Amino acid sequence: MFQPLRLNALLTAVVAALVVLGLPLLGVGSYVLHVMILIMIFAIFAVAYNLVTGYLGLKTFGHHAFFGLGAYGSALISIHLGIGAWASLWIGAALAAAFGLFIGLPILRIKSMAHVAVVTLAFAEIVRLSCSNLKGLTRGELGLWGIPAFQALHLPLVGEVVFSPANKIGYYYLAALLLGMTLLATAVILRSKIGLAILAIRDGEDAAESLGVNLTRIKLGVFAVSAFMVGVAGAFYAHYVGILTPSAAIGADLMILVIAMVLVGGLGTFAGPLVGAVLLTSSAESLRFLDQYRLLVYGGLIVLIVLFAPRGLASLRLPGRRVPERPA
Amino acid sequence: MTAMPIALYIEQIVNGLVAGSMYALVGGGIALIYGTMRVLNMAHGEFYMMGGYAAFYLVGRSVPPVLAIPLVAGLLFLVGAAVQRLTVHYLLRQDGWLFACIAATLGLSIAFQNLALIVFGEDYKTVPYYVEGILRLGDIRLPLQRVLMLLVAVGTLLAMGFLLKKTRFGWALRATSQDSDAASVCGIPVSRVHMITFGLSAALGGVAGAMLAPIYSVSPWMGLPVLFKGFVVVVLGGLGSFPGAIVGGLLLGIVEALGVQITSAEWRDVFGFALMIVVVWARPWGLFGKAP
Repeated sequence: MFQPLRLNALLTAVVAALVVLGLPLLGVGSYVLHVMILIMIFAIFAVAYNLVTGYLGLKTFGHHAFFGLGAYGSALISIHLGIGAWASLWIGAALAAAFGLFIGLPILRIKSMAHVAVVTLAFAEIVRLSCSNLKGLTRGELGLWGIPAFQALHLPLVGEVVFSPANKIGYYYLAALLLGMTLLATAVILRSKIGLAILAIRDGEDAAESLGVNLTRIKLGVFAVSAFMVGVAGAFYAHYVGILTPSAAIGADLMILVIAMVLVGGLGTFAGPLVGAVLLTSSAESLRFLDQYRLLVYGGLIVLIVLFAPRGLASLRLPGRRVPERPA
Repeated sequence: MTAMPIALYIEQIVNGLVAGSMYALVGGGIALIYGTMRVLNMAHGEFYMMGGYAAFYLVGRSVPPVLAIPLVAGLLFLVGAAVQRLTVHYLLRQDGWLFACIAATLGLSIAFQNLALIVFGEDYKTVPYYVEGILRLGDIRLPLQRVLMLLVAVGTLLAMGFLLKKTRFGWALRATSQDSDAASVCGIPVSRVHMITFGLSAALGGVAGAMLAPIYSVSPWMGLPVLFKGFVVVVLGGLGSFPGAIVGGLLLGIVEALGVQITSAEWRDVFGFALMIVVVWARPWGLFGKAP
């Protein structure tokens, strides 16, 4: 993470960005755009999860709570307060970040990974149960619908950009923009002094503290930032699909999918979550006919990856690649 | 609520004890594995689910329950031992094995759930009561099925206690959980102890699943809520402590039974989880344990 960007990495990033930005211009179908949008939503989630779990080394299993909080927060605010989706997205994400700080506090005191796992899981379960029990507000498992889409934009040079199920290009570029911002924020954090502190905490908490790293501030801050990013992904998802149910937006399946993505791509690597999101989402879509086996495959995949490629596919040694960093 | 006769309260407490004895079986299994291997077994709920299905098919083939329950335990012992030998055994040698084990057992849990969905179908299966009839003690009425559950739980836990305290295997297990390197130096086959421990834990979960199958129906998803309950129980009792899990289980059962009288049933789990988070925050070593 601390070497200057090498030419290879820079070229890969530029090519990937060009492909992503250029794809809609090739006149691909609405379905391809939909899959790409899903990939980008999951990529934001996976990148944010990786920041906490892979880099900071805080192994949480409850990040789907923040996805649900961002989604329900933004949807309810835009429905009831009449605030447009452009603003409610950030309010929803801020709500997720606030809850991230809240649940970050008890986690701070715990050194045992098992306790952290249990507490974060229980927290997410509380959020899910609350959303399905508060039927007056969220309509529970019946589903919250009528979530407003993003208002059309008038951009110079481009003209009017509409956001509708029929025309996904607007959503596509918005998702790409949000993913780009997430990646940029992550890179800036990791390449700053704070990034050094984050890795120091992962590799040796006591040693880091003895060198003057403020554990409380860094851990809480990173947890909140990560929750914010996941909240953004959730809020965008809410306004994109237009309907939310607790089991779809806060279900444990979501977390398992993201954990699988991060593990497949490589925990604690920058490109890992992206690779994982692309591979798992696109393979899930192309294997639609195997729908009932999908979760079986994900479960098995997690086991196999952990057993045989614990550093993930992104860190397999390829010719001309530097040996990957040690994962936590 | 205030006008409720005292007998109804006692009935609720007894029902809570029965539920709690089942939580103790589940939590005891989680605690056994965590105490010996420091592995948080996320697939424990699926052992419970398999126990439910095993009971459904055995009782459905008119195997008498007296025979079916030990058979379920034996079957689940083999499943648990196989799971340990094929996955956790290798993971324990890895760098970062703590996370690897949690992630792998989580993957196993999802895989088992969906395997059950494909093999057994998504319909909820019902199992007949193992014993019919109602026990009457004054004003207190208790179905014999629940009495049986309590007896089986007490019997199983007593047998486990005997195994842990009085047998050579129990000594080996407790030595391994205290310090596996030292145990290994003393000639204890640590790997085999781990495998048997996993099997015992799965058997405990399976017995709980088999005993609860007539009360709740059997489905591929029945494991997850019970896993969460098990987590609450082991955290209350101090993670990794087998006696703690028993006390925690009984406590949770009674608190829930009384809590449902006060609030509605759908918020019950929320209070359980909140209680757990508060306990982790205030006393991470459990309600009854000593601070390290």
